[in-house]
Amino acid sequence: MGGTFLPLATFVTAAGGRDGWMTVLPGLVVAIPYGLMILSLLSKYPQKNLLQISERLFGKWVGKIIGVIYMIISGYYGGLMLAVIGQIFEQSIIALTPRWVFYLGGLMLVFYLAENGIEVFARFSEVVFPLIVIAMVLNIGLSIQRIEPGELMPILSEGLKPLIFGVLKVIPFPMEYILFLAGIIKFLPSGKQALVHLKVEVWRTVFLVGILDMLVVLIQILVFGPQETVRLSFGLLVLGKMVEISRTIAGVESLFMMVWLGALVIKSCAFFFMTTWALETVLNLKGLKWRVAVSVIFLGIAFGFLRGTSLTKEASIVESYLILPFAFVWIPTLWGAARWKCETNVR
Amino acid sequence: MPSWLKMIKELTIRPKVQQIRKPPEYSFDEDMNKTLSGQTVKEILSKSSDVVFREFFLQGKERIPCMLTAVDGLVDKNQLDFFVLKTLMVDLAGHPEMAQLTIANVVDKTLQSILPGLEFRKVSKMGEAINAILSGDAVIFFGESKEALVFGARGWANSGINEPVAESVIKGPHEGFTETLRINTSMLRRKIKHPSLRLISLKVGDLTNTDLVVAYMDKIASPDIVSEVLRRVSRIKMDGVLGNGYIEEMIEDFPYSPFPQIAYTERPDVLAGKLLEGKVGIILDGTPIVLVVPAILTQFLNVNEDYYQRAMTAILFRFVRYVGAMVAVLAPSVYIAVTTFHQEIIPTDLLMSISAGRQGVPFPALLEALIMTVVLEILQEAGLRLPKPIGQTIGIVGALIMGDAAVKASLVSPLMVIVIGITAVASYAIPYYDLSLAVRLTRFPLMILAGVLGFFGVSVGLYAGLIHLLSLRSFGVPYTSPFAPLRIRALLQDTLVRAPWWAMKRRPQLLDVDEPKSGGKGKG
Repeated sequence: MGGTFLPLATFVTAAGGRDGWMTVLPGLVVAIPYGLMILSLLSKYPQKNLLQISERLFGKWVGKIIGVIYMIISGYYGGLMLAVIGQIFEQSIIALTPRWVFYLGGLMLVFYLAENGIEVFARFSEVVFPLIVIAMVLNIGLSIQRIEPGELMPILSEGLKPLIFGVLKVIPFPMEYILFLAGIIKFLPSGKQALVHLKVEVWRTVFLVGILDMLVVLIQILVFGPQETVRLSFGLLVLGKMVEISRTIAGVESLFMMVWLGALVIKSCAFFFMTTWALETVLNLKGLKWRVAVSVIFLGIAFGFLRGTSLTKEASIVESYLILPFAFVWIPTLWGAARWKCETNVR
Repeated sequence: MPSWLKMIKELTIRPKVQQIRKPPEYSFDEDMNKTLSGQTVKEILSKSSDVVFREFFLQGKERIPCMLTAVDGLVDKNQLDFFVLKTLMVDLAGHPEMAQLTIANVVDKTLQSILPGLEFRKVSKMGEAINAILSGDAVIFFGESKEALVFGARGWANSGINEPVAESVIKGPHEGFTETLRINTSMLRRKIKHPSLRLISLKVGDLTNTDLVVAYMDKIASPDIVSEVLRRVSRIKMDGVLGNGYIEEMIEDFPYSPFPQIAYTERPDVLAGKLLEGKVGIILDGTPIVLVVPAILTQFLNVNEDYYQRAMTAILFRFVRYVGAMVAVLAPSVYIAVTTFHQEIIPTDLLMSISAGRQGVPFPALLEALIMTVVLEILQEAGLRLPKPIGQTIGIVGALIMGDAAVKASLVSPLMVIVIGITAVASYAIPYYDLSLAVRLTRFPLMILAGVLGFFGVSVGLYAGLIHLLSLRSFGVPYTSPFAPLRIRALLQDTLVRAPWWAMKRRPQLLDVDEPKSGGKGKG
């Protein structure tokens, strides 16, 4: 889930207009076949990540080139996610504090989490995920009084074409998840029962996240209208700012921000892990000093976006033109190659 | 490596093999395998004024010189007089069995057909005899015989069975452990009358030779955890072990974490309950506190009263304690963050009131809170060490008189006094003192982060704390279980909720081990 729900409404509404909310779930469902392909590879090549499998199936050099692309994408996007932490805090609740302070705070958490290993990362996500869900439900529930149902009408007024563009805007988000899955499978159990459990989890995750994200987009369109939703980079933060109960509890976006920070730390840390896995697989570089090096790179990328709105644009470019095509092509090709080699018994 | 760096390394890095100190110059281990000799034992122990040597003769086939050795104050003299000296010297003098005694058969004959009593055993090594004497047994040496008889006649003064002050209950047993190991194990045995209760005896401390018992339920406790406990305890190398704190620091997984990773209790009913859950108890002689491993975070927020009250009441009180713990951690830092950075959260009327209260206060909220919290800590520490009546006076003088004076002098705002007061009261809602200390410790960095970076700082602090907690393990069990890894049944059975006894059909899921098909915490 990470921080997908924060900018999602802007992208899908820009592409799909007032019907953009309908594109969220179909866009995320694309993750299911990809997830199942990865799990099928896991059963064939247990305790290996997709980079290692690529080296085995495509040969050393092609595998290494894929690994380098994976490393560059995850390293760069992880740095951008770190920058998002600074941007959302500066834009919302602590405007006068320099952005680099948030970068450092965020990086400290990401590094500490990564240092404690994948198991602690998984548990961290397990604890923070319910908080994210609760915060989202509260945001949605407490904004119901501001809904203007007319903003959704007329439904499908521009036909189905905008929906297709909307789906294309959503697909990069599940692809981020898929790329992470491509790396983490090395640590997943590959027994028969575990695989069934994992498959169920892929379905469950996609639908749970899909429905929640869809509701988040829907509520923003209903409250702000399509045009304002496109203008606001992080509409959910504004929604949090507007929460008011009986004119007593107001301005509680600071509390929501605490939860969103957790979500962004998860996302940034996931890309941190991906970068380190790629470093280890492709260049055989591992250990503390290389994790420090990745941190420095993350920080350097984040420092490149100290001012202005280009960060959101840059993240969108990476998602649409790097993550999407890379994952879209790599995983089915790898899966197909594995099947072909298995059927023809090529060793 | 420079010497100062070596010193820092020694102080900060715990060696893998816990050889903390050099072995003492004189070790029982050296004597352990030496052939037994009463005279040598006398030479070793005669310099201690509390060791008594009663010499006498047995008239058998030959005249056998004997020596009864014991530590005065540790043995029950009446038992020695009645069962040993009177039997051997008066009652059986001239008896046909006595007439057959020679130096070669004296030990076996005495053990088999002369001395009555359950607690007689034979030893043949010097170290065993010395250990027995110093542990409170009496040893009878027979001339030049290579064997001796140990008589378990331990009987020293103890403080008696009382209700523990720190774990008192309204509706439940009112007995607590004592400083005597055997009394404690007998209290435990009275609670669990089943052969599965295993008590494994060990000795710790090279010079103190303190008795220690590892207690667990066979087939319920994980064998991995039991063997890990035994491994860690048997690796302890120290001159002396005088309290449970020594053991705790030597066997816990993360010695530099402020959070307690080993639970403790002074109550036999609590220990019995924990053993039935599959945990392992470490009972040390000389202290009424029994360690319980593995420990998880939520365990430190539960009290035994929960199990004696009705389920609904227990759930309410658990909820109160969880809220109390959150308030104790967060109240001052949230106050600082809100008043310094996020005033928009505060309703206007309250904001005006806070503003009026803070008028004339020369310090920023962070400094104000830090001063108040430090003063509170000083008051707590001062009150703790003083006799009870004076401690109460200190509390009243400190909290009421000084607090009121500080507000009147505009040194602190009234709301700050309220916040710190609530924090102090909330921290008392945490039942385990060790966890309360950890909370007090974590409060300071959170306050500083709140004062510098508002809610962002608080979030960073909380998430860092969360990551730390998630990384902790107690004897292989994740410290944050059953929240992470999520165990719904455990969460709803005996964590957030205390299910009614009839619903506790299975044991808590702490480990990924096979659950017993039958039996559980509640039902057999």
